[in-house]
Amino acid sequence: MATTAHVHAHAAPQGFIRKYIFSLDHKVIGLQYYFLALTAVFVGMFLSLLMRIHLIWPTAQLPLIGEIKPETYLSLLTMHGTIMVFFVLTTAPQGGFGNYFLPIQIGAPDMAFPVLNMLSFWTTFVAFLVLIAAFFVAGGAPLHGWTGYAPLSALSNSGPGEQLGADLWITSIALFCVASLMGALNFITTTLDLRAKGMTLMRLPLTVWAWFITAILGLLAFGVLLSAGILLLLDRNLGTSFYVPLVVVNGQLMGHKGGSPLLWQHLFWFFGHPEVYIAILPGMGVASQLLSTFSRKPIFGYRAMVYAIVAIGLLGFMVWGHHMFMSGMSPYSAFAFSLMTMSIGVPSAIKTFNWLGTLWGAKIRLHSPMLFAIGFVSLFVSGGLSGPFLAQPVLDIPLHDTYFVVGHFHLIMGVAAIFGIFGATYYWFPKMFGRMMDENLARIHFVITLVGTYAIFMPMHYLGMAGQTRRYSQFTEVAYQTKLLPLQTFMSYAAFITIGAQLIFLFNLFWSMWKGAKASDNPWEATTLEWTTATPPPHDNFGGLTPVVNHGPYEYNVPGVSKDYVMQTDPASAPAH
Amino acid sequence: MADVAVQHSVPAAYEPSLFGTYSKKIGMWLFLLSDSLTFGALLYAYSYGRISTPNWPTPFHSSSIMNATFMTAFLLTSSLTMVLAVRASVFGHMKAVRGWLLATMACGAAFVVLHGREWSHLISEGLTLPVFPAVPGAETSKEFADVTKTVPQFPATFFGLTAMHMLHVTLGVVYLGVVALRRTFVPILLGLWLVAWLATPAYSPFHYGAHVLLIAAVVVSIILWLKPKVYDSSDIEVAGLYWHFVDLVWMFIFPLVYLMSTRII
Amino acid sequence: MDRVQIAIAERVAEQHRHHGKAQFFWVWGVLLVITGIEVYLGYQNMEPVRMLSILMALSIVKAALIIGYFMHMKFELSRMKWITMCSLVFCLAMMCVFFPDAFRIIKYGVR
Repeated sequence: MATTAHVHAHAAPQGFIRKYIFSLDHKVIGLQYYFLALTAVFVGMFLSLLMRIHLIWPTAQLPLIGEIKPETYLSLLTMHGTIMVFFVLTTAPQGGFGNYFLPIQIGAPDMAFPVLNMLSFWTTFVAFLVLIAAFFVAGGAPLHGWTGYAPLSALSNSGPGEQLGADLWITSIALFCVASLMGALNFITTTLDLRAKGMTLMRLPLTVWAWFITAILGLLAFGVLLSAGILLLLDRNLGTSFYVPLVVVNGQLMGHKGGSPLLWQHLFWFFGHPEVYIAILPGMGVASQLLSTFSRKPIFGYRAMVYAIVAIGLLGFMVWGHHMFMSGMSPYSAFAFSLMTMSIGVPSAIKTFNWLGTLWGAKIRLHSPMLFAIGFVSLFVSGGLSGPFLAQPVLDIPLHDTYFVVGHFHLIMGVAAIFGIFGATYYWFPKMFGRMMDENLARIHFVITLVGTYAIFMPMHYLGMAGQTRRYSQFTEVAYQTKLLPLQTFMSYAAFITIGAQLIFLFNLFWSMWKGAKASDNPWEATTLEWTTATPPPHDNFGGLTPVVNHGPYEYNVPGVSKDYVMQTDPASAPAH
Repeated sequence: MADVAVQHSVPAAYEPSLFGTYSKKIGMWLFLLSDSLTFGALLYAYSYGRISTPNWPTPFHSSSIMNATFMTAFLLTSSLTMVLAVRASVFGHMKAVRGWLLATMACGAAFVVLHGREWSHLISEGLTLPVFPAVPGAETSKEFADVTKTVPQFPATFFGLTAMHMLHVTLGVVYLGVVALRRTFVPILLGLWLVAWLATPAYSPFHYGAHVLLIAAVVVSIILWLKPKVYDSSDIEVAGLYWHFVDLVWMFIFPLVYLMSTRII
Repeated sequence: MDRVQIAIAERVAEQHRHHGKAQFFWVWGVLLVITGIEVYLGYQNMEPVRMLSILMALSIVKAALIIGYFMHMKFELSRMKWITMCSLVFCLAMMCVFFPDAFRIIKYGVR
């Protein structure tokens, strides 16, 4: 039976700095990532608040900030996108929850490379500071959008934010690439090497599968963005012209010639599309986990779910061109990309149907994590349905530069992934902090956020079909667009309320950390390994031991067992699923 | 719930590694996969520029090609000495390991020096980037100056790709130096930095590029003093993987950048 | 964790001991010869695309030799071989999709 021995690569640290700042413990690093993302999401949300205010009251005098100028609107848009995509959607689910729970869920004492893990967090942190610094330098933050399209991003005199701000932006992205590479290879190696006895690939929780595939996507995608960024830095600072053709700015001929802006778009979206899946896949994993746990049913079609994740990862590398139908790309490639993009609907639909199959006929426990998981499915379907429209060049061309696209990607990539993060927070909070979050506040938070989200992003589809252009800072001056202003006003008010509701979450989070009800080791009666250990888990996760896994991850209501769930570590004598 | 039953066995009981080898090696392989995509993207960017530019110049004289061929031979030989180091390490011949590693580093350093000479030569001939300061008193050849003027993509891709590769070689030499000599290597590295910095004239890009060695020395010292350890055969194998990868990348840069731009007499 | 790692490393080292030195010298020789052929080809007056395909084919052979023997990939588990190499080749092959656009610039002109 249980024998203790030294299994951990590094001893429990002493002292505040080793324990909480430069900690090698994946759990502390996970929390660091989580709180970095939490800071980032509030910064990003504040920027969107300013944008929504500017859209309906373009000349409003705001306290401290003053009047938002049209070019500032573009800076806000760029920074909102960059912060949200990189420092929230990539950082929280993968760096935060993945770091905290991937080793525990596979029965490992820590990540395979703890030092690399620490470096990866601190590099991300520095990248965030560098990005935020762009607000405070001469000229302000860049205005080339989170996609940094050249030649706008490659010429330092193409706009007010394109001086030092744009250099800082690229530096931040490059640092983030390096950090993500370190994180990704750590995740992959850990999953390959440190699974506890009995934790075969087909017994991995779907969260682990999602984090694993996400890490592979990150490993292969971020390297390409890194070299794209290096070339962009060369263009900006060494006078090369990889991305810049012969171009005239303000009547002045630039010294560049012979480059191709399309090259940037190709390199960027070669990374950019996998990035979309890096954001959403962990959410899918969490949703699967929560739906199964709170339906008290095994996940419907576990193997199909795994293959669907792998298929989505694979297809994710073959569809980047659908972001470029408007760019003058070869129509033959556009056709191929269109076909591949629509075929992504197949694994996505498999996942959706399996989630619905899991819910079907179940005695659902509607705790707050489950609410968010159901919200995730709802948003994923609503956002996903507009995907096939955008996948076809003929439909994409009129819709691409309108609010239709904004609505589409906010629903499916933005808010759906955020719902995954919320669900994960409510679900794992007891394990992380040993206390429960307040259920009533969580429900209020859920209702306002779900309704608010739809109120903000659904009308965008109609705005887009009516021809309202995206990236414009003011609609008051354009005759055919002013008619749509009432809808914009409605969306802005919805956004104010939804953003306000996030303060409930923030309050609940911090209040529960100190004052919440004490949580037991397994408050949700779930089956995976993190619920077998103490709350919060000890330094090496299992107190010097390595669990032995005898069961699949989702064995709920197994016939012939008195309890309605079988833990993964329960003795093998219990009938296998 | 309180009735959680955890069955534990003896520690260190894990599923066998999916790739059947130790974690460090898998980690290095994964890094190399990602880095080959970084280089791959650069090479694709180069090819893209080349395809979309009519009349791509082919200015490299036989002296350049000769030089690059020697560089290639040095790299290939360094790969050979590297595998011999790995082989010696699995037999525990640590003295031989050190010798082979030093030979590898010497070949790598020769590569960098030859390449640096080539760069300086091309820059003084007029194949240059706008950011490089003019070489005082140099006679630019009309041919290279024309290339720089008409097809700026040519020097941009040439210097971009080879600089990236040279950086990898330099860091590889530092890496091997750490594995072979540990703390003894830090003063050597600082000496190399001083030589590289002071021996190059102020207009040379290497005058500033040399500071890479200083940064490397600082990082290396931090690693060596915070995490001192004796490097065993697995560390040498992992370092070898990195070194061979650097060699591998050159096998694509050499034909693409040099041989495809040969001036045929 | 450490003990497992050391055990695997020992096994890998054992595996290495079975390879003779001669094999590495052979590979080195072949690589040098291929390099020589490439340089020779560089001086043949050939149509660029044709020359490119020959040079790239030779480079891929060289890369395979380096990966296979020097980097020891030939002797790894087939699972590792296939997963790593396929994902790499797949991603690099996908990037060929960039090229139709590069050709279009020449064909339709930007000047």
